[in-house]
Amino acid sequence: MSTNISHTPAERLRDAGLYAPGDAVLSVRDLNVRFNSENGVVHAVRGVDFDLMPGKTLGIVGESGSGKSVTSMAIMGLLPETADISGSVRFKGKELLGLSDKAMCKHRGNDIAMVFQDPLSSLTPVYTVGNQIIEALTVHNPTMSKQAKEARAVDLLRMVGIPSPKDRLKAFPHEFSGGMRQRVMIAIAIANDPRVLIADEPTTALDVTIQAQVLEVLHTAQEETGAAVVMITHDLGVVAGMADDIMVMYAGKPVETGTVEDIYYNPRMPYTLGLLGAVPRVDTATKQSLVPIEGTPPNLALPVTGCSFAARCPLVSDACLHGEPELFSVPGVEGQTLGHKAACIKSDELSGNADAHRIFHAPPKPVSKFDGVARVEREKVLELKDVKKHFPLLKGALIKRRIGTVKAVDGLSFDIREGECVSIVGESGCGKTTTLLEIMEFHPDQVGEVVIGGVSNKVATDHKTTMAMRKEMQMVFQDPTGALDPRFTVYEVLAEPLENLGMPKAAIRKRIMELMKLVGLQPDHVNRFPNQFSGGQRQRIGIARALAVNPKLVVLDEPVSALDVSVQAGVINLLDKLRAELGLSYLMVAHDLSVVRHISDRVAVMYLGKIVETGNVDDVFDNPRHPYTRALLSAIPVPDPNLERTRERIILQGDLPSPLDAPKGCNFATRCPVFAALPAAKQEKCLTLEPPLASEKEGAQDFACFFPDGEIDADMLVVHA
Amino acid sequence: MLKYLMKRSGIYLIMIFLTTSAGYFLAVSSLKPAVLEQEKIPRPTPEQVAASFRGLGLDPDLNPWERYIQWLGGIITRWDWGRSPNGAFVNAEFADRVMVSTRLFIASIILTLVIGVALGVYSAARQYKFQDRVITSYSYLVHILPAPIAYFLVQLGAISINEAVGERIFFVTGISTPGIEPGWPAFVDLVAHYAVPTFAMTIFGWAGYQIAQRQYLLDNVNADFVRTARAKGLTRNQAIRKHALRVSFIPVAQSIAFTIPAIFTGGFFAEAIFAWPGIGLWSIQAISLQDVNVATATLAYGSVIFAIGAILADFATTLVDPRVRVQ
Amino acid sequence: MTNIIDPIAEIDESRVADQDVVIGKSRIIFRRFMRNRTAVAGLFIFLALFLFSIFGGFLTPWDKDTIDPLNIGMPPSPDHLLGTTQAGIDLMALIVDGTRTSILIGLIVGGVSVLISAVYGCTMAFFGGKVDATMLFILEALIMMPAILVVAVATSGGGGLKDLPSWLLLVVVLLFFSWMGTARLVRSLSMSLMQRDYVKAAKYMGVPSRRIVWRHLVPNIGSLLVLDFTRGITGAILAEVAFSFIGIGIKLPDVSLGVLIGQATGQVSSFPWMFWVPLTVMFLLTGSLAMMNDGLRDAFDPSSSSIGRAKTKTAKAGK
Repeated sequence: MSTNISHTPAERLRDAGLYAPGDAVLSVRDLNVRFNSENGVVHAVRGVDFDLMPGKTLGIVGESGSGKSVTSMAIMGLLPETADISGSVRFKGKELLGLSDKAMCKHRGNDIAMVFQDPLSSLTPVYTVGNQIIEALTVHNPTMSKQAKEARAVDLLRMVGIPSPKDRLKAFPHEFSGGMRQRVMIAIAIANDPRVLIADEPTTALDVTIQAQVLEVLHTAQEETGAAVVMITHDLGVVAGMADDIMVMYAGKPVETGTVEDIYYNPRMPYTLGLLGAVPRVDTATKQSLVPIEGTPPNLALPVTGCSFAARCPLVSDACLHGEPELFSVPGVEGQTLGHKAACIKSDELSGNADAHRIFHAPPKPVSKFDGVARVEREKVLELKDVKKHFPLLKGALIKRRIGTVKAVDGLSFDIREGECVSIVGESGCGKTTTLLEIMEFHPDQVGEVVIGGVSNKVATDHKTTMAMRKEMQMVFQDPTGALDPRFTVYEVLAEPLENLGMPKAAIRKRIMELMKLVGLQPDHVNRFPNQFSGGQRQRIGIARALAVNPKLVVLDEPVSALDVSVQAGVINLLDKLRAELGLSYLMVAHDLSVVRHISDRVAVMYLGKIVETGNVDDVFDNPRHPYTRALLSAIPVPDPNLERTRERIILQGDLPSPLDAPKGCNFATRCPVFAALPAAKQEKCLTLEPPLASEKEGAQDFACFFPDGEIDADMLVVHA
Repeated sequence: MLKYLMKRSGIYLIMIFLTTSAGYFLAVSSLKPAVLEQEKIPRPTPEQVAASFRGLGLDPDLNPWERYIQWLGGIITRWDWGRSPNGAFVNAEFADRVMVSTRLFIASIILTLVIGVALGVYSAARQYKFQDRVITSYSYLVHILPAPIAYFLVQLGAISINEAVGERIFFVTGISTPGIEPGWPAFVDLVAHYAVPTFAMTIFGWAGYQIAQRQYLLDNVNADFVRTARAKGLTRNQAIRKHALRVSFIPVAQSIAFTIPAIFTGGFFAEAIFAWPGIGLWSIQAISLQDVNVATATLAYGSVIFAIGAILADFATTLVDPRVRVQ
Repeated sequence: MTNIIDPIAEIDESRVADQDVVIGKSRIIFRRFMRNRTAVAGLFIFLALFLFSIFGGFLTPWDKDTIDPLNIGMPPSPDHLLGTTQAGIDLMALIVDGTRTSILIGLIVGGVSVLISAVYGCTMAFFGGKVDATMLFILEALIMMPAILVVAVATSGGGGLKDLPSWLLLVVVLLFFSWMGTARLVRSLSMSLMQRDYVKAAKYMGVPSRRIVWRHLVPNIGSLLVLDFTRGITGAILAEVAFSFIGIGIKLPDVSLGVLIGQATGQVSSFPWMFWVPLTVMFLLTGSLAMMNDGLRDAFDPSSSSIGRAKTKTAKAGK
């Protein structure tokens, strides 16, 4: 690590002690980070400034590669020695940059602590959880007695909501679920009452219900310790309710800073505006396309000459290409900690109610030929009748004996009509992916009937019938990288399904060029390999492959969850457009309910292998009846600070139970917030009888609950004042 | 845990039985001691040879299956592994041979493991620096050098040291000087005999461990959990020492199973080159003397060594990896 | 978003964009390999030795059976470029012969064992279940056998195996013990490949299994097999040298590098060239293979850094 001795204005001011407000716990000035790479020097962070006041929360928002994580690692002093870091990071006025690893260790974990993204890999697998918490205490309190440390560790585990903390102290990380491990990470971070807590995408790897729990724990942790929090995320919803101030980063540079209200309600930088428009909302039924931000972020190994966003900005003019704009104060806002600043010479043009859709030329919501046709009159493209998939759970070394059954999919029936999108939602482990696989397998030995385009799996005994069905239905996978053979060129990828149909070579070429255009890729890129494309482009290739044989139904397995927010919008719009223009039907599995709401016509909520609620997406989302649906929807953060701060949320307790322990009556009773509030007499019904999936009145959604809209148990209801 | 090890041991016992049986059939059908008897002076008649072999339980007129049953019966009922064509009992010599081999290998097994792992850690800590390049290139070089030639080169080196000094410092062959007086002189003699083979087996043995340990540690130094440990306030070195190192031992522990038989093979060459009368040399001599029973016994010993290695590896893995503990 | 463009207008454009766009992957791998200097050097050394082993006989007027009574145990001289043995046989002629035997053993063992392991490993992965368990048990039992003893028994025995020439016998025995590790790798690799999304995608497209195996599994295992082939050659050459060196491998009158090295150990100080020359040849042989192996691994690895550059080039060439 080296501190630059040159004298930038910021450093001169810093040296004179004039620049940073005296009461800030953490002041960052002109932070620059450069890495050496094979392709030259990558300037990953380019001049970050902020002040963090005690007890406040700063949200740093940006996409992958925006430099937000590098910033946090630079503050923690955790970047590799080869990184060139300059600028100033001061903790309570004390300069941290340039400290040796050893000197920095006095601050790390004691004054500044950090929670990382991936809880599954962030704990050492070979040590107990207790050992790892106590280690954090030992480092900074060498004199503390063993008993005191153990007691403190138990306290910490209790504080982050781990049941029977004393016993769990001796458990190893692999005995915990992801959400539980992230709680342990938070416990480690707050062990020494740090003044600053940095959380780097702490909930990205988790399910929404678990995300809500963990965010709640973070909230409690902040209240208990009074620490200031830096919350790093790509999700504008997550920080909306938590943060006081927001810094939006792009290409290693803050492009807009201000209070939460400034950023969400009055964005002055086209990028921020685009990002806000690119995220679908779970709470509104807008039928409007998302705002696509075309292109990809600049290569930070090359010198930046103009505004780094210019290449993707719809408002770009010649002036934007000459000199990178600094953060200018946006006029008209007074008395804020950071002041509202935007790095855009056109921020004035965006004042007032700038319409992102207009500025970014969002396409009109495409209209399908089926839109006017009533659902019952459309043909069924897919029908599931009582489909089951049970896995035996075996135990024993030499002679296996069956100790139970995992009911991954347990009696599923639904249909998909022409031109509609049906989504299955639920936590991971609820059986939604197994459902897709069951449909894709399409085999006569399956339990239950799958009918695709009029062909039932029960009669699909010969190759010809199966091929006819395969032509009707294709799949798009979650991970665009894994779904493309790295050894195939795009041409070969797209040719595979066509060759399989026995199409002549010339026709294949023509079709491939068509497909490339169709999904918005340059046809002359067919010769490239998948790893030469960005994630969004790879997903487009995956979509093109699925469409190659002109299927009626496309199965989408988390089609955008691996993509950045701004790229996501483009792919969602593409899916929307294709559905309308080609008359496709979609069966989608997604954990992001906002995306589901945006793209789907119908939705099925699954819990432990069963559908608990299903119906039109607007009916279900606006008026959820099943307590699980209510909890799921309330767990989704909305990019609207005022709403986020005031709304009540239902925080489910615990994780998805093992399907093995499924109760006799209602599956959900173990976690149900309504059940918990019921008198014992009524609880009996939930425990013994299985609620049927039925609707209350004609045309409304079906749900499986005896006590819809029931009162929520107070313990599971949280409102932040 | 115990149950699991028992089960593994059971499987290995079956495997040892199978490999030994297969080895017996191979030996019995290809080794013909009678051929050598013909070279004796005075040349015995085939009837005499057959009669003497029949007395030793090596009846050449029986078919392989009958011989096998006879041989197996001896082992099961009396733990008698049979006799050599010259009449010696396999059991009588076996223990001595195993002792010699074990004495020869044990030091280098331990040294190889310790030095290999230590150098792996050291070179990983200095990745791409001069020391790392030297150590790792050396390890790759060892891979293209056959063990017996390597030992022979060491032997040549030791001889030239002796010549340069003008005095015999190292013994390059043999296990001890006959008739040495006990006490200090015997100890010096022992060391002088031990030094060269142990040195040779060690410096050509650690390469595998070094490369594996270096790779696994490098895979782990930037792991998320090391970062977590540093974020707690441990220095980088502390975090690597306490967290990455322990995790990187897991695959190394697993690889022990496959290196122990390699050491056996290497030791076999070492015994041949350095003329130590251990199991390896015995087996070679036995094979050239067309001795079925000794050859099979040494083969069984090799399988047992492998099984011990594999079980040790299981044990070591459970020791370092708690995820395996909950079987 | 691009709008859907009239497909007919597209054809002409695509025809232009499309001609000779697709470049064979083998060519790309070849280019990547050729960019690695060490690997190319290894390839040249190996080829040189290979040619030497075939045509080297023309470099010397002597052959391995002719005794030169005037030059017995002579160091290298203009008459005998690499000297003679103590029996008066030209060392060059012997080395040509020995190198040929060694390379032959290497190629046969390397090639056939890769084939065996590919078939065995794929069968295990494909059928799974009981077939897999049984085959795995056999495989592990074979791994447990001390190969060296079996080699010794087979090559020293007085039984029926004696009829084969000693080098062929060694080939058979080495083959028997050389394929297990790779078979296990092939098994686990194909098992994981069958779980990949792109294999699933092909399956869901209705692509028949044998075509999936051919198009997706084989090329992805292929690199492993090629790498293992070169590794197998090295291993077999080393094993031959080791076994012959201590006298249980190849036996006279067959000549191999191991035999030559082994024979010379008795008189290293009096006839040093007899020891060092074949040893150097062996080093060149195994070293060149190791260098090639390194380059091949890089060329095959789709995530290797040299590939990124390679691809940009191809893309440009495509335009």
